[in-house]
Amino acid sequence: MTLGRAASARYAAFLGTLAIGLATIPLWAPRFWIYIATQALIFAIFAMSLDLLLGYAGLPSLGHAAFFGVGAYACALLALRQVDGLFPLLLVGAVAAAIVAVPIGALSLRTTGIYFLMLTLAFGQMLWGLAVNWVSLTRGTDGLIGIPRPTLVGLDAFEISLYERGAFFILCLIVAIVTFALLQMLARSPFGKTLEGIRENERRMRALGFPTVRYRFAAFVTAAAVAGIAGALAAMSNGYATPDLLYWTVSGLALVAVVVGGARSLIGPVLGAFVVLFAQLGLSTYLERWELILGAIFIAFVLFVPGGLVGLVRRA
Amino acid sequence: MDLSAVGLTVRFGALAALNRVDLEVAAGERRAVIGPNGAGKTTLLNVIAGEHRPTEGSVRLGGRDATPLPPWRRARLGLGRTFQRSTLFSQLTVADNIALAVRARNRSGWRFWPGSEDGLNQEVSRRLEAGGIEHLARRPAGRLGHGERRILEVELALAASPSALLLDEPMAGLSGDERQKTLERLRSLPKEVTVVIVEHDIDAVFALAERITVLDHGVKIADGTPTEVRANARVQEVYLGGL
Amino acid sequence: MDVLNLAHGSFYMVGAYIAYSVVVATNSFWLALLVAPVLLALLGAALEVVFFRRLYRHGHLAQVLLTFGFTLVFVDLIRSQFGPTTRSIAPPPGLGGAVELFGATFSAYSLFILGVAIGVGALLLLGWRFLRVGAVLRAGVEDKEMAGLLGINLPTVFTLTFAFGAGLAGLAGVVAAPEFAIYPGMDASVLILALVVVVVGGLGSIEGAIVGSALIGLGYVIGTSLFPQFAIGLIFAVMAAVLIVRPSGLLGRRS
Repeated sequence: MTLGRAASARYAAFLGTLAIGLATIPLWAPRFWIYIATQALIFAIFAMSLDLLLGYAGLPSLGHAAFFGVGAYACALLALRQVDGLFPLLLVGAVAAAIVAVPIGALSLRTTGIYFLMLTLAFGQMLWGLAVNWVSLTRGTDGLIGIPRPTLVGLDAFEISLYERGAFFILCLIVAIVTFALLQMLARSPFGKTLEGIRENERRMRALGFPTVRYRFAAFVTAAAVAGIAGALAAMSNGYATPDLLYWTVSGLALVAVVVGGARSLIGPVLGAFVVLFAQLGLSTYLERWELILGAIFIAFVLFVPGGLVGLVRRA
Repeated sequence: MDLSAVGLTVRFGALAALNRVDLEVAAGERRAVIGPNGAGKTTLLNVIAGEHRPTEGSVRLGGRDATPLPPWRRARLGLGRTFQRSTLFSQLTVADNIALAVRARNRSGWRFWPGSEDGLNQEVSRRLEAGGIEHLARRPAGRLGHGERRILEVELALAASPSALLLDEPMAGLSGDERQKTLERLRSLPKEVTVVIVEHDIDAVFALAERITVLDHGVKIADGTPTEVRANARVQEVYLGGL
Repeated sequence: MDVLNLAHGSFYMVGAYIAYSVVVATNSFWLALLVAPVLLALLGAALEVVFFRRLYRHGHLAQVLLTFGFTLVFVDLIRSQFGPTTRSIAPPPGLGGAVELFGATFSAYSLFILGVAIGVGALLLLGWRFLRVGAVLRAGVEDKEMAGLLGINLPTVFTLTFAFGAGLAGLAGVVAAPEFAIYPGMDASVLILALVVVVVGGLGSIEGAIVGSALIGLGYVIGTSLFPQFAIGLIFAVMAAVLIVRPSGLLGRRS
């Protein structure tokens, strides 16, 4: 996407307003809504990583939640063994997810299209099955509970703890902004352009001399690492990690977020994540049939709004 | 770069698309491959480019055995190609299309941060100008007319600076004027670039080729200079005396 | 048909719930076995005509998203009607007991399931071979114009195929109902297993699907008895192994 100068200025202003608007949430919102917004931000990071795959590399994964879950479990296992510190815990989430992504990527990326979808779905469910059945490590369906949030080194002097009102939300906001910036950079780099070329026309890219499978593999592992970071945040936020995090519907909901928001924009998935999370957590407090409504919204979007929310704005 | 194929056979089930075809193209040579529809011309290009594994036979590029190499490795040895049906990056602009080809040659696709690519941009504008398509630079390739698309197809292959170039019907569907331009463009290629062109436009073939190979039903029936091929009885028979 | 339908598991689930309702209302399993496939075939046909038809052009992703939307809707509808608890029905009279065969004891109903599976598989294979359904579909997927020229009414063929697939899923749901638990969520577990089977067997091949299910079923049983914790893992290990050796599945067409 190439924007004119005026359009990029407007886009930057929009991003700035959005970030500042989100940052004020702890000042006025009730506790429950801060909680929902925190979950939405974590899901937004996850959805952005999926957008790197789906929007830029053209790889629709139905097993992305596996990396989210692996990140959460890795963080949880370490935190429960008295490892403290924000960076080590986020890092272990990313690294664990990336390591798991290596064999899965190597096997699934030999295929494309419908096969890729089916394979990622199958591998994702395999890891979910592991999380359920490997009771000695994961405690099965009960999950790992009582995960402490890390203390912030250097901020002790000000006595800021991540359990304070809004503190964890702000942390997630910062991670989301950094993730957005880094992924944006990646998308605009020669690597990102190469991925777009592969998405558009893999055969031609091979004929030009690009080892296309390696590029897709790199994108796959990178996206998994980012999903792992989101998973680690989720474990810290909830205080527990359960197999539900890896379930295929989580991957499906992330696809919903990306498509409803607008793929290949990075900001679209963020908006989409808020829509999904507000439907899931917000609506469900008032309505029993939130899945029905979400499913219907979703069907309508697929049929009538191919560009997602971002596409609507761009056309307006 | 010289290229050669020895005893190439490609079978799809019972059908032999190519049957023991040999092809020897010297470095810098301009070679045309002609023949009726279904003669196996495109299959031959696909095998040389590595998209198709031959059932039997081998391919050498620049003296090196390329038979087991995937397409992208062959491209890195200096092999470029165009496709019969345009395969462009339709959502990207013409300039971005060319930029991908230049990056392919520079192998700069593994840079993970944006930033100034002045050298690249200069080369892209130079190449757009050389191809006479600088006025289309900002247009998405998907919105080009047919003729413009065919021209970009050739420019895309050229932008990777190949030392051997496979062209699959570059003139197909072009107007007389566009044909002339494309012909001029191909003639202006550096002398050391090897060219193998598959083309139905016989005038273009005779204007460009130093040697011609004729295929029919997957079998090579003639190979020689334009004069020799024109005089060949089998060829006249296949082309019903139309050559 | 080259369509990835995530709601296929939902058809199975709906079939099982129809069986449950019919059995509760009329106490007749055989009626359910007749009604559910017909209802699901109608449902499948309706969904194909109203929704899926628009999406063939848009590629797999749109299909995945649309059908995912439907899985959410179906599971929620089921939950609203029947609640989240697990239901079950008894096998039909006469099939509730045990049968001695080759010195081993089998439940009569398991043998009935086996019989139905063999019957359906055989019919499918015969139909595939002799009615050239496979050839027509393949032509339709690969070259729509050509199929049109040959006088094949593709939209109708696609609708019928979709309806038939939905009906079969419903039939499977009914047959499974007395043997397995009926609960919202049974759609996902069967969907994943079906996907693995198809991946292992190879897309676009009925024989492949049969071989695949035999292999996966066997793997699951052996896995459960040897290391119960990792039975699921074993299934996926089989899948990974098949993919390493043959990326297009055991009997799949090479793309």
